[in-house]
Amino acid sequence: MKIRMIPLGLVLLLIGLEAGRAPAVPITKKTGTEKVQKVRVSAERFHFIPSRIRVKRGTLLEIELSSQDTFHGFRIPKANIDVTIPARGQGKIKIRFRSRKAGRYPFECSRPCGAGHTMMRGNIIVE
Amino acid sequence: MKYLPIAAMAARPGSNFPIWVLVTVLVVSVTVPAIANPPEESLEHRLDRVESNLERLIGLLADALGGTLGEDVKGELQSLAAELKTIRRQVSRVEEPAPEAEAFPEEEAMVVAEVVAAPDTPDASTGLFGGSMPMSGYMEMHVNHDGLNPTTLDFHRFVLNLGHMFGDRVRFWSELELEHGLIEGGAPTGELELEQAYLDFLIDPRFNFRAGILLTPVGIINERHEPTAFHGVERPFVDEVILPTTWFAGGGGFVGDLGGGLSYKTYVMSSMDGSLFSAEEGFREGRQKSFLENARNLAWVGRVDYGPLPGLNLGTSYWTGETGFHLRDLDARLRIFEFDGRYRFNRFEARGQFAMTHLDQAFEVNASIRRTAGINPNIARGMRGFYLEGSSSLVPSGSSHDLVGFYRYENFDTQFRMPQGFFPLSQFDRSAHILGLSYFPHPDVVLKVDYNIMRNASRVVRPRNRWNLGIGWWF
Repeated sequence: MKIRMIPLGLVLLLIGLEAGRAPAVPITKKTGTEKVQKVRVSAERFHFIPSRIRVKRGTLLEIELSSQDTFHGFRIPKANIDVTIPARGQGKIKIRFRSRKAGRYPFECSRPCGAGHTMMRGNIIVE
Repeated sequence: MKYLPIAAMAARPGSNFPIWVLVTVLVVSVTVPAIANPPEESLEHRLDRVESNLERLIGLLADALGGTLGEDVKGELQSLAAELKTIRRQVSRVEEPAPEAEAFPEEEAMVVAEVVAAPDTPDASTGLFGGSMPMSGYMEMHVNHDGLNPTTLDFHRFVLNLGHMFGDRVRFWSELELEHGLIEGGAPTGELELEQAYLDFLIDPRFNFRAGILLTPVGIINERHEPTAFHGVERPFVDEVILPTTWFAGGGGFVGDLGGGLSYKTYVMSSMDGSLFSAEEGFREGRQKSFLENARNLAWVGRVDYGPLPGLNLGTSYWTGETGFHLRDLDARLRIFEFDGRYRFNRFEARGQFAMTHLDQAFEVNASIRRTAGINPNIARGMRGFYLEGSSSLVPSGSSHDLVGFYRYENFDTQFRMPQGFFPLSQFDRSAHILGLSYFPHPDVVLKVDYNIMRNASRVVRPRNRWNLGIGWWF
């Protein structure tokens, strides 16, 4: 039994070592003269991580979107934007968002991705 | 501007050049360069210049024609001047500086959103908003060989998903599946199943209502069973005999995202039919599959998922329901507990799942079935199964295709705990080592091959190892 588990143990060990070298994910940054809040959003059947993004009114929000599995969509109905997030290993896509009015701006997956597609949603909360 | 002297010369007295052509050339010569100027000059300034050029044009024309302009030319020029004023008013409105929120009530105008970087793929484009969702689906075809039975080639699943958005608050989703490629009346052939057909009523991110035919939210595979979403040609054994995927039933309940990576589902659904349980396949045949489901006994299921980091997800589920509605005077409550985890980092992925079940009145269920069917089903009081899987991409990152190697160990026992007086059949205490490759020429297309080393606890009934080939795709 123990011998049989060795290959799996090796794989898990490699994952652990790789994870140990993981760089910290930057959440916000300032670039140039304008304050830009940068957020990385990961899409995966059937949720976004993070699913809630808080931003100050008027601040430019730069969202870098990537997928952990298949192609997903990223739609912000109130901002009239709808893009495809490339599948895992196929690159990333960035969008910029700014609102001068406080409120909740829902975003959702706009490309059918499976059984939980209709609830794959999140919110940009402008404060 | 450089055309003005030429135009004026062409308009000398005695020239037979048509005056309307002249006017058009002049107007175009002063307006087009102005409008096509670099963007740093405001439209307001460009219109100023167009207006002054027009006035100069009138003077030049008057000089060229000996101080007199025809009424038709005058009228044409006046209408042009009026049009310019209209444009100026419109431009002034457009070029107003961005107002503050309180002075600008239109919500849409307050939002700026643009794509600033996108990979060079045809899919990375903006789309349209509409009520209908595009059709999607998945298919998979398998070749199975176990050295005992004839090798089979089976178009295992042909699945179409249809959805619709009834505005922003109500969504429809469905999954129609044809299994094994053929349905013929009266013969033991494939199945046509409506595995999902539900409405989502979006109330709040934390609290939404869902009703219809639902996938039971238990385990990794049941809600993520697209062939590109798991390794191995066939689904894990634990997800076939302990958790009977694809497991679906009619019902309704609530779904929500609580933030911080925490989400939940809780449904009331139709239960399982305890009269169809078996020793080998556990509860699998007990699924009612939305066909005139008996609703006398309803089941409750709840699931919580926690995904604090990209690629990491931990989940746990609990299902409970009375299954004795076809068994006289029996409740036969079944309880299923499960937890699972997935973690993906760079080229590596690990996933695992543990599930166990408990059936109340298992002795009475066996006795009841034996009375009616004449055989002892030897249904267990408890079943248990788990698997661990590790996988790694074998090609350099950034490749347009991917090759993943994986290993999965499974242990599953459908006779784990027996009711008093019943003895476990050791051939159903099983384990499996699955080694395989998944090749992705496209992220949504996969070619699979795997080899299964099967084991059980019996010294008499020996399992057969098997190999499988498969293709699958999601669109």
